Amino acid sequence: MAPFQVWLVTTMRDIKIVSPFMHAPYGWAACETLHFIGLSLLIGMIGTFDLRLLGVARRVPIAALHKLIPWGIAGYLINVTTGVMFLITEPEQYIFNPSFHFKLLFMALAGVNVAAFYLTLFGKVKALGSGADAPRAAKIVAGVSLTSWTAVIVCGRMLAFTRPFNCGPAGAGFLATCFPHG
Amino acid sequence: MNEFFVWLETTPFSMWIRDSPSVFAFPTILTLHTVGMGIVAGLSAAVDVRILGVAPGVPLTEMQRFRAFLWLGFWLNAVTGVLLLVGYPTKALTNPLFYIKLALIAIAVAVQLAIERRVLRHPKVDVDGVPKTGKFLAAVSLGCWAAAIAAGRLLAYTYSVLTSV
Repeated sequence: MAPFQVWLVTTMRDIKIVSPFMHAPYGWAACETLHFIGLSLLIGMIGTFDLRLLGVARRVPIAALHKLIPWGIAGYLINVTTGVMFLITEPEQYIFNPSFHFKLLFMALAGVNVAAFYLTLFGKVKALGSGADAPRAAKIVAGVSLTSWTAVIVCGRMLAFTRPFNCGPAGAGFLATCFPHG
Repeated sequence: MNEFFVWLETTPFSMWIRDSPSVFAFPTILTLHTVGMGIVAGLSAAVDVRILGVAPGVPLTEMQRFRAFLWLGFWLNAVTGVLLLVGYPTKALTNPLFYIKLALIAIAVAVQLAIERRVLRHPKVDVDGVPKTGKFLAAVSLGCWAAAIAAGRLLAYTYSVLTSV
């Protein structure tokens, strides 16, 4: 993976569209603020829906509560946009950072989980009206969703504490968590 | 004030939060503060957009059931916030923006309590509809949480003194 990671970093560094904005005073900070607001929207809207599936506020009809989901998706899109802006501005700080690798892993888990939910369960679950309990499979999906999104936040926060350093004589290994060119 | 900062920053607990290489010191406290932020600001936003007219089929009286989680997020952040303050009292208390952040949170909490009292616990709210003051409160709540998040994020960029020791 290490040569692929080096290629990713050099390729991303060549994309210089957002760099002037990100390096302008408070450009980076503005993106971080939006990233935190997006995080809150995602957790708030998706979390509310997950809690209902788990049995909280059972008198709320599922289809009615699902109208909040587009606001969670808006939060997700804000965060993908601002996240890509961080990534292509300082690619080596992310591509070689173990916290970023885990963050992508948990985002993928959350993605597979949500795809499985809409492909197999949503048709039945959205018909559940006031007072109806969600099936066990939907509760598992809700639990995986809450856990994986929380893990995404944890990994995002840990990025600052697991910054990569130059690789020693042992080299970069299969998946580099240090700068191989150092 | 400076003597107080020096005293607090030389206590073992403050030094542990600030300087310990343990992942359970500063990194964990900061991470919990971010998770709590997502819970309190996010659940508050869910209630606010419902009040403002999104997802009209959701009974407002039932939105109360998410209260416990919202306040759990709030208290998690009150506790982790105090811990971060114990670690870096000079950094926070010498920055005017920190007081603006606290004021924004105080307004957001007062507004949340008013929303619970006037909207969520109003017995006829799902029959008569949301009173105009309810929509105003929801809009103020969204604005205050967004501004508090912005202020919190900017604390990392606007402090003038990191520590007094």
